[in-house]
Amino acid sequence: MSDERSFPDRVLGFYDVPMWQHLEEGAFKLQRCEACGAFRYPPGPVCHDCLSPESQWTEVGGGGEILSHATFHKGYLPGYETPYSVVAVRLDEGPIVVSNIEGAEPADDWIGRRVSLVLVPRGDAYVLPRFQLA
Amino acid sequence: MGRATGPRRTAAIVGIGHTDWSGDWTRVRNGDVPADSTGYAALAFREALADAGLGRDDVDGLICGPTTALERMGELLNINPSWGDQGDAIGAVMKAVQAVEAGLVDVVALVYGNNQRSAGTQYGGPKAMGGGSFLSYVYHAPWGLTSQGALYALMFQRYQHVYGFTEADLGEVAVAQRAFADLNENAIMQGRPITIDDYLEAPYVCEPLHLYDYCLVNDGGVALIVAEAERARQISEHPVYIEAMGRSDLNTNATSLEPRLTDFYHPAQHRVAEKVFAEASVGPEDIDVLQVYDSFSVHIPLALEGYGYCKVGEAGRFFQEQGIGPGGALPTNTGGGHLSETYMQGWNHQVESVRQLRGQAGARQVEDCRYVHYSSDVAGKVASIIYAR
Repeated sequence: MSDERSFPDRVLGFYDVPMWQHLEEGAFKLQRCEACGAFRYPPGPVCHDCLSPESQWTEVGGGGEILSHATFHKGYLPGYETPYSVVAVRLDEGPIVVSNIEGAEPADDWIGRRVSLVLVPRGDAYVLPRFQLA
Repeated sequence: MGRATGPRRTAAIVGIGHTDWSGDWTRVRNGDVPADSTGYAALAFREALADAGLGRDDVDGLICGPTTALERMGELLNINPSWGDQGDAIGAVMKAVQAVEAGLVDVVALVYGNNQRSAGTQYGGPKAMGGGSFLSYVYHAPWGLTSQGALYALMFQRYQHVYGFTEADLGEVAVAQRAFADLNENAIMQGRPITIDDYLEAPYVCEPLHLYDYCLVNDGGVALIVAEAERARQISEHPVYIEAMGRSDLNTNATSLEPRLTDFYHPAQHRVAEKVFAEASVGPEDIDVLQVYDSFSVHIPLALEGYGYCKVGEAGRFFQEQGIGPGGALPTNTGGGHLSETYMQGWNHQVESVRQLRGQAGARQVEDCRYVHYSSDVAGKVASIIYAR
C-alpha cells in the first residue's frame, strides 16, 4: 500500500494539473502553442516564444536524447534509495525534461544516447514520464 | 539616459565586520547555539562600525540580507534610515551604490546574519531552501532531483563531456582554496590542507561532484558600511571603491535547466564582462584577485571562461599552467571562499576583497593588489562588481 507520502511531492501549480491528469490517463502531453507550434515545459500561461495564450495539450512522440546525468549518493527524498541516477533528456519536440532511466542504464557514455518514453506508476500516487534506452 | 563611461567611483566600502566563523563552527558542532540570524548580523554590524570609526547615528541607510526581516533588523540596531532595502550580497552592494547615486543616502549599513547550521536549514529534499525563488530547486523532486549541488552535478557532467574537463581538473579548485584558507586565521578550514588525491578519494555526494566540491554550511554574520565617495575619503584612509557593476540574467527555460546545460551561463557572463571591464577601463589581465560565489567549485571554471580569463574549454589547462591558488597567476577566492573559509552567501567575498585592496590580508596578501573582480552567477543570474583602491 503506498500513497503520495511514500514519494516526493509534485509541484502542482495552476498550469501543471492537466499534465498530471493526462499522465494518469496514459499520455504524456505538453502544451503546444497554437500560434507558433512551440512546445513548452513546465506548463505555463503563455508561449515562451511568442507570448500567445492559445495552446493545445498535445501528446509528445516519446523520443529524445540524453543531455546529461548525475548519480545521487546522498538521499533526501522518499521513494529513492541511493545510489540512483537522474537524466536530463532533450525531447525531439524541443523541451528538456528531467527524468530517470527505466531498466538497463548505459554501460559507459550516457550523453547523446537515444531514449524513448515509458510511463511508470509510482504506487497509487502519480504516473511519471520516464525513459528507456532506445 | 546612460551615465558617462569611465570608472564609477561614486561610492566606497569604508567598514567591514564579521563574526567569529571558526569559533562558532566549533561551538555549533559541540551543540551550543551562540545566536540567531539577527544576533550574528548585529554583532557583525558593531564590528563594521568600529572598523569605519563611525557611530550608529552616522548611518542613514540600511540594507539587510535575505535571511532577516528588514524592520526587525532596523529595530534591533535602532536605525530609522532615510532609505531601506533587502538583497543578497551582490544585490545589496549594487543597491547601496544606486541609492547613493540617487542622492537618497550618504552612509549605508549592509548587514547579514545566518544561523543555517544551528537551525538545520535544508538545501535538498522536500523543504529545500530557495524553492520559492527558483522553481528548478523543487520542480523535479518526483524524479528524485533535488539539492542545488545536483543541478551543478548535471551541469558539470555535460561540461566535462563537451570540453574534455576531468574530475582531477575540478579538484584543483578545492585544493587551491583550501591552501588559501590555511593562510587565513578566520577560515574554518585553516590547518586542514588537502591534496588532489584527498579530493578524488572523498565520497561523491551527487556524482560527478565530490564532498570537497560543496560549500560549508555554518553560522555567522557579515556587515559592510558603504559611503558616498566624498564622505568615504573623510571617513577612511583606504576606501575601496565600486569601480564598475553589471548584471545579466538567463531566464529562458531556466526551470528545465537550459541555461545550465547548453551554454553553462557563458552568454550572460560575456555580457557582464563586456560591461564591467569597459566601465572600469580594465581587462581581465589587470585583475589582481578574482572572487567567485562558490556554493560549488564548478562556479570557478565557468567564471574563468565566461569572463575571458581564459578561452572557453581551457579552464583545466589554466589551473595547471597559470594557477588560481597562492602564488598563482590569478589568485581566486583568496580567503578560502565558501568551500573553506565560511559560507556567508557571498558576503565574506566582499570582506576579503576589501582586505586585499587595503593590504590587510596578512600571509595571503596578493602583492600590490589594485583591482578585485567579484562575480556571482547563482542559477544563471550573473552579476559582477569590480573593486579598486
